[in-house]
Amino acid sequence: MKAPGRPAVSAQTLVSAVFRLRELGIGIALLLTVVLFSVRATNFATVSNWQDIASDVAVVIVVAVGETMVVLTRNIDLSVGSIAGLSAYLSAETLSTHHGVPIVVMALIAVGVGLAAGLVNGLLVAVGRIPAIIATLATLSIYRGLVFQATGGDYVFPNELPQSFQNLAAEKPLGLPFLAWVALGVALVGGAVLRWAPWARDFYAIGSSPEAARLVAVPVVRRVITAFAISGALAGLGGFMFAVRFANVDTNTARGFEFDVITAVVIGGVNVFGGSGTILGVTLGALLVATIDNGFTLLKFSEFWKIFFEGTAIVVAVTLDALLKGRVQDALRRRRRPASIPREQEAPA
Amino acid sequence: MSPVVGLARRAIVRWEALLVVMILAAGVWSWTLSSFFLRRANLLDLATPYIFIGLVAFGLTFVVVAGEIDISVMSIMAVAAVSIAEIWSAGVDVWLAALAGLGVAVVLGLANGLLVGLLDVPSLAVTLGTLAAYRGLAYVILGGSSISGLPTGFTDVGGGYISNELPDALLVLLAFALVLGVLLHATRFGRYLYAIGSTREVARFSGIPVARVRVTIFAISGLMAGFAAIVYLGFFGSVQADAASGSELIDVVTAVVLGGVDIFGGSGSILGVLLALILIAVLRNGMQLANLGGATQDMVIGGLLVAAILAGNVLRGAQSRGLPWTRARYARKEVTQAETPGVHSSGT
Amino acid sequence: MSRKRLRLLLAAVAVVALAAGLTAGLGNAGSTKVQAGYKIFLLPKQIGQPVFNTNNQGAQEAAKALGDKVTYNGPTEAVGSKQVPFIDTAVRQGFNAIIISADDPNAVAPALKRAMAKGVKVISYDSDAAPNARNLFVSGPDQKAVGFAEVEWLGSQIGYKGDFAILSATATATNQNAWIGYMKQALKLPKYKNMKLVKIAYGNDNDTKSLQEAQGLLQAYPDLRGIIAPTTVGIAAAARVVSQAKKCSAVRVTGLGLPSQMKSYVKSGCVLKFGLWNEKDFGYVAVQTAHALLAGKLTGKPGQSFVAGRLGKRTVGKGGVIIGVPPFAWTKKTIDSAGF
Repeated sequence: MKAPGRPAVSAQTLVSAVFRLRELGIGIALLLTVVLFSVRATNFATVSNWQDIASDVAVVIVVAVGETMVVLTRNIDLSVGSIAGLSAYLSAETLSTHHGVPIVVMALIAVGVGLAAGLVNGLLVAVGRIPAIIATLATLSIYRGLVFQATGGDYVFPNELPQSFQNLAAEKPLGLPFLAWVALGVALVGGAVLRWAPWARDFYAIGSSPEAARLVAVPVVRRVITAFAISGALAGLGGFMFAVRFANVDTNTARGFEFDVITAVVIGGVNVFGGSGTILGVTLGALLVATIDNGFTLLKFSEFWKIFFEGTAIVVAVTLDALLKGRVQDALRRRRRPASIPREQEAPA
Repeated sequence: MSPVVGLARRAIVRWEALLVVMILAAGVWSWTLSSFFLRRANLLDLATPYIFIGLVAFGLTFVVVAGEIDISVMSIMAVAAVSIAEIWSAGVDVWLAALAGLGVAVVLGLANGLLVGLLDVPSLAVTLGTLAAYRGLAYVILGGSSISGLPTGFTDVGGGYISNELPDALLVLLAFALVLGVLLHATRFGRYLYAIGSTREVARFSGIPVARVRVTIFAISGLMAGFAAIVYLGFFGSVQADAASGSELIDVVTAVVLGGVDIFGGSGSILGVLLALILIAVLRNGMQLANLGGATQDMVIGGLLVAAILAGNVLRGAQSRGLPWTRARYARKEVTQAETPGVHSSGT
Repeated sequence: MSRKRLRLLLAAVAVVALAAGLTAGLGNAGSTKVQAGYKIFLLPKQIGQPVFNTNNQGAQEAAKALGDKVTYNGPTEAVGSKQVPFIDTAVRQGFNAIIISADDPNAVAPALKRAMAKGVKVISYDSDAAPNARNLFVSGPDQKAVGFAEVEWLGSQIGYKGDFAILSATATATNQNAWIGYMKQALKLPKYKNMKLVKIAYGNDNDTKSLQEAQGLLQAYPDLRGIIAPTTVGIAAAARVVSQAKKCSAVRVTGLGLPSQMKSYVKSGCVLKFGLWNEKDFGYVAVQTAHALLAGKLTGKPGQSFVAGRLGKRTVGKGGVIIGVPPFAWTKKTIDSAGF
């Protein structure tokens, strides 16, 4: 569905050309990493190792899909780790006290809790006009505090959960871990929505230029709330996935997880100033980070150098990405009249 | 008192004035929570654990005013602290070691700055990477061990007291507030930052050396993380590679944004950050004296952050119906200079 | 003047209302009423952690028996520097003693020394502070015994032969590093000459990281026969990984874990044996020690002894160390009786 008449669309072909190139860049980086590790590291190119990586990356991808929508609107959601922790506890606690509760209901509780938390974020940002980084920095503390209040220092341990739930993480329909199927589903739906749903296309318009979006009657407030609500709901689903993965929930669950998510989003080529980025890119970005982490472990690197190299790899990736993007944009600008909104700069005063 | 009240009367919308009111209110609340709050020893000492946070926040202020972000600051501080301790334990004079540590901090900040300023990589992305890379460096240098027992003359900077009551570190903080306040608010360099933070393109066209300034702010941020390392070493008397790897980064960012620095750049003051730090310290101290749970404390600080900005928005909304200026992101060009608070208010 | 006061009052009301809304019914209001008995502050590495909650249960039991008041509070994350403000404010509130599990023994030392200078008794437990910054240390079982025992638990399960790895907490964790040191010492004994430590991984006491490290160990060392995880988060993650990979008998997991957390792995036969002392008793002894110190029954000199309530006699050892609780290994037979 194209939405004619809106500024972001007029530059569509140009933009999508850049997108395709950029995903190609991340894809090539991922491919190179995989080849390198396959040659150098024992056991890297095995099915079971890739199943491990898929499980590792699944939660990151699910939450990153929501985060992407928020970042596209030129906002950020730092509270996803705390939301995941809160959802994980509330849903796992429900299951531990009511063993008969179907697991789907438990997942829905988690998503519901996340949705509510995300709505609060959205209202604070869109209606309260608090910059997203501040609002979600505050709710990061508040939601984590709620985890402490909700748990009261209590915790959910594996023996309190039904066996069927404990086994869920180990299930591998068609060779792919259960959690990876969830991630795949979320990524496909998220990608499709961002590509074809008109309301989701508005995220790009808002991120490119909030003023222009408002002028062409995009309901900015409602859309921003929607983005935060989705991010919250998916963080809630991520909380459920944490519970599935560890069968063990306490106050520390998913603490600091926002860093993993934002790293995937940034590496995945989503513009931190909004307006551009795709789910495919973010998925590749998350995979790249998880692969590097896994590969360094298998290479038997010293723990300390591993931290250093992982950080350096991120710096190298974003630098190359920025250089490449600069070149592509220059090339395209030279060929076409610069009709599009300059994406990197601040909107004109 | 009277200059503060006078300031409030002249410009009640000023963020700094609001912060002063909030500090007083927080003080009253803390006093109702605990009778121990108003003791002189407590009042003088309550900010001491947060001095290193404040110094890092001052450095970050320069970066944020110019419209950038640096989330690698705590990792830089850790590398600096670890370097100082390691060099000292190799037998070098501790003050020379401290100088070397400051050098290391500046170099790490410069590396951030070069990537951002020259290659135009988004600062959030760069410092997200160096946040991890620099932390790794701290581990590579010191491993899993701990260094303590630094000379008293050195640790007094962060942990000493004058006549057993007045913490040296508080004076360090105020001195830096003064110096950095002058640098940010009364020099051409400072004005450049506001101009770049408001609209980078306009700044470039008006002949400001944008690239050089953007590199410099990250070096300043690194340098302040280096000074914070010295205070940290003094206050805790020791260092490990995981120094300040927890929510300290969140504390720093909280101090900066609660201090009224616009996260998108273009406005903010050192005085505001200083006051925000004091406000946080007063609240935490009061709640700790009343033995409120650690989680409750975090929630109150978070709630305050939201409430303060909301209140500010409401206040400004009411004001802007009468006055033309707003703090909206794009309507800020010439206002910056008028908005820039003078040095007179930096002393407190 | 009155206008200023009015404004101040209004602002104060606003902030109080906000805070009251947030804390309604959550926090215990600061009570200044004088009580019989001693005021003791129990400062864990982190609140909301199962192990420390269990310590607190024992501490409250002892406080009730002795007529003391124990206040349990601390930071929401395990970072040494975050314990410091709690120490300082405890001193200013007039607590008679502070019991601390030091996250970073040196970082809390200056604050603890300030406390001691003001006459507050300082007892470290679980994880020691710098020895000159506390009066007494109520220790878990002897660190050498713990380290040696863990190697023995694993050895006996794998026929004293094969590669194994350690999954620890953070690289800087004091207790873990000490135990690992003794494990290496144990490995020099002829009995263990066929066991080889191939890797020390750090899970940072974080679920995700610990799980990934455990997975990595299985992949990177195909011949791995065992994992020793001397931390509750690590052992739970390692047990989860091997049970999901269906490698329970190929790779044996042992170490230190909370019985309630490990119960399902032990019942399923995936984990045969692991250790942890009674954490409830640990908190109980710590408070008993503080009380004895405050009551003058102890001065901290080695050789002194006192009766720690229901747990009987405890003796101060070299360096002001009191062994608070004996080591304990949990198996399928005993795990139901743990109760923590």
